[in-house]
Amino acid sequence: MNQERRAQWLRGVLDLCVLALLSRGESYGYELSQALRAHGLGTVQGGTLYPVLLRLQRSGLLTAHWREGETGPARKYYRISPAGSAALRAAAIDWSAFAASVGAILSEEPKR
Amino acid sequence: MNHNAWLAALTGELRRHGVGPDLTGHVVAEAATHLAKSGESPLRVFGPPDAYARAVADSLGGPDVRPPRRHPGPVRLAARGITKRYRGRTVLDRVDLTVRAGEIAAVVGANGAGKSTFLRICAGLLSPDAGTVAVHGTLGYCPQDGGTAEFLNPDEHFVLIGAGRGLGRAAARRAGRAGAAALEWTPPPRTQARHLSGGTRQKLNLVLARLGEPDVLLLDEPYQGFDRGTYLDFWHEVWRWRDAGKAVVVVTHLLNQLDRVDTVLDLTASRERDA
Repeated sequence: MNQERRAQWLRGVLDLCVLALLSRGESYGYELSQALRAHGLGTVQGGTLYPVLLRLQRSGLLTAHWREGETGPARKYYRISPAGSAALRAAAIDWSAFAASVGAILSEEPKR
Repeated sequence: MNHNAWLAALTGELRRHGVGPDLTGHVVAEAATHLAKSGESPLRVFGPPDAYARAVADSLGGPDVRPPRRHPGPVRLAARGITKRYRGRTVLDRVDLTVRAGEIAAVVGANGAGKSTFLRICAGLLSPDAGTVAVHGTLGYCPQDGGTAEFLNPDEHFVLIGAGRGLGRAAARRAGRAGAAALEWTPPPRTQARHLSGGTRQKLNLVLARLGEPDVLLLDEPYQGFDRGTYLDFWHEVWRWRDAGKAVVVVTHLLNQLDRVDTVLDLTASRERDA
């Protein structure tokens, strides 16, 4: 896939992807970047990911707390808030409609 | 550039971009954790320190995507016809204010317009010459200054004030520390209040006002001495309390937040009407 285009698309939906991952359970930055990769979104660098987490936290869609790891330094764990779950539900519906519209345009038969 | 040099440079750049010391600590620690885990070069993961610091600062002041407003609930605070005179001068002249659950009211006005006086009357600390105040629910009040005890450390404050709100020692400490964390503040365990900076004492004051999650919160310019990051934290907390159904009254002279409150009570107008 065209890397630049994928990065551009991701910018619009990264916050939703993060909310969706966290709706399955709390996690921390590095683990989230691994999960995004495992879902086929490629490498999302820390420089992109952490500002998004911070913005979501500031908006009250995520809560965060520090916890000592079993090994290594303390980790900042993020958890989705009720407001975040509500925002995710609404945005997921919007996204499906949007993706369906794009899909419909792209798959339309050319006119004869 | 090795990890430590990059992290040190990031610390400096975050400060330069106006990010407060507590939040800077958190951002740097989080980056350090990531780097330790991934083993990759900081330049590759985060980019140059100044660019990453700018991205962090932008994410703090970025567009507000709070969830849509809930419908306000029942009336929590009703002040009617509040009038107060000092030495023959009318400071407050028949002032009305109604705040419902899930609403924020801002009280504005020039110095001497009676903002703090009005709040003290609402808190029941001062009697009006005329008018009534009805509070439905529990009340928390954060004074402009004072409110902390010089020789007590933060935990002792939490326990003392928590006791008055029906919280046990452990619960009060837990609630206090959670409130502090929301302001990106970790209370030092043994530091007496007199050794805390002005801004940090105000954080303590604010956390104390919130102990026991009162239904009505009266905040008298509680952000004095806050750095930019903490100031943003403060407003985000206020919006969160509002969304949790609290009634919040904030005395402020900073007008740039007024589009994000529900009611504005301008006391300057009240005095000019009188003059």
